[in-house]
Amino acid sequence: MEIKQHPILEKTLQDDIYFYFNDKKMKAKKGQTVAGALMANGILEFGRSRKLNQARGLYCGVGRCMSCYVTINNQYHIISCTTLLEEGMKVYSNNSDPKVGRDVIEN
Amino acid sequence: MKTDVLVVGAGPAGIKAALTADRAGADVILIDESVFLGGQLRSQTQYFSNLPKNIDSGLGIEIYNELENQLNNSNITVFTNHTMVGSFKNGNIGVSNGEKVLEIQSKKNILAPGAQEEALIFPGWTLPGVMTAGAAQILVNREFVRPGNEAIMVGSNIFALEVALLLQQCGVSVKAIIEEQLNIQCKDTSKLGEIGNIPIFTSSRIKAARGRGKVEQVIIETPNGENELYVDLICVANGFRPILEPFEILNCEFTYKKGLGGWIPKYDNRFLTGNPNCYVAGNAAGITDLGPILLTGEIAAWNALGEIGLVSSIVVDKKIKNLWVELSRLEDEYVFKERLNLINNTSAIKY
Repeated sequence: MEIKQHPILEKTLQDDIYFYFNDKKMKAKKGQTVAGALMANGILEFGRSRKLNQARGLYCGVGRCMSCYVTINNQYHIISCTTLLEEGMKVYSNNSDPKVGRDVIEN
Repeated sequence: MKTDVLVVGAGPAGIKAALTADRAGADVILIDESVFLGGQLRSQTQYFSNLPKNIDSGLGIEIYNELENQLNNSNITVFTNHTMVGSFKNGNIGVSNGEKVLEIQSKKNILAPGAQEEALIFPGWTLPGVMTAGAAQILVNREFVRPGNEAIMVGSNIFALEVALLLQQCGVSVKAIIEEQLNIQCKDTSKLGEIGNIPIFTSSRIKAARGRGKVEQVIIETPNGENELYVDLICVANGFRPILEPFEILNCEFTYKKGLGGWIPKYDNRFLTGNPNCYVAGNAAGITDLGPILLTGEIAAWNALGEIGLVSSIVVDKKIKNLWVELSRLEDEYVFKERLNLINNTSAIKY
């Protein structure tokens, strides 16, 4: 759902960048946020809510509503709409409570 | 880290305040929690003309580019991706990028956190594909992503119509605009002409949104009965309200002013809040338009400069008087009246 020709803006994003969402390789544009890159690939469901297990995706786009949480580089609850995508980034859905306690013990 | 003025929030009000202080010779730190500067202005492609006299009319993003240009030619220290997370006992402010905390000691703080869009609650409101009008605008204008193929817009204020129009220009089929009130809220008749072919349902509301993992269908209640539409995007333009957390952290007093967007920090005619070191600027001082937003940033900055002693009180008084005259000229009559009302009730604060 990438916009190649914008109705008003002449300058669009040019450089390709690759990342992984749930281990699947995807293409996006340099300068996009993680949320923008996911939506450009047609992904609306970023994760599931922890209590009722409902689909969650982008809502406010400005980092306030916490609906678009993902896991990046083993860090849970990263706000995808305010995080810039980086080459080779490994992005995973947040589908349940983080295993923080266990990680601490294991390390 | 020491500075004369700390500005929190690098939207139009914060940038304008920072530039004003910088030009008067103050040391300025400007922080923003986003990796992008400019707030929503950075993503706006609508045309703004009702602006202060030293700013050219243009698209939102063009006005932002000019402000960014001025920032790059200033001595302002800018921290993006830094959030104000707390204050220390001595009044210093803690700012963090999620990894470490910077302690900033400033003589005066100007808080310009802006506004947030009001959510709208209905069954299915959390489904992916339901988003604020602002989020849709960001996706199109900053991310270059089309947020859906078939959409409805909830709300008929000027922002709702502008975003509906933008979506349509990007090839999104906007099937309806839903307005709960009896009348269309946008007063700009030229905007209404532009969206001519989108049906507008007044006295109507969303009954529910449905879908598996994303929006697939929406049911709207109109005076003529229920209407089912197959859409993958529901944009919500339910108005804005001031962001309050930084003022809560700094123990400011609050008051409720419907005409300014709801709960709001109290401030006096200097834009000084209940905390004697903190000024407020922009939409956080009352939801308004771009012109007044820029002016409030300037007013707050001149007052801070005067208090610090970098500018004489005679100069400050003269600047402030002119800026208030301009504010009264540019601002919506009702909003300005509410602002004066707030200020007149606040001047009684004693420090």
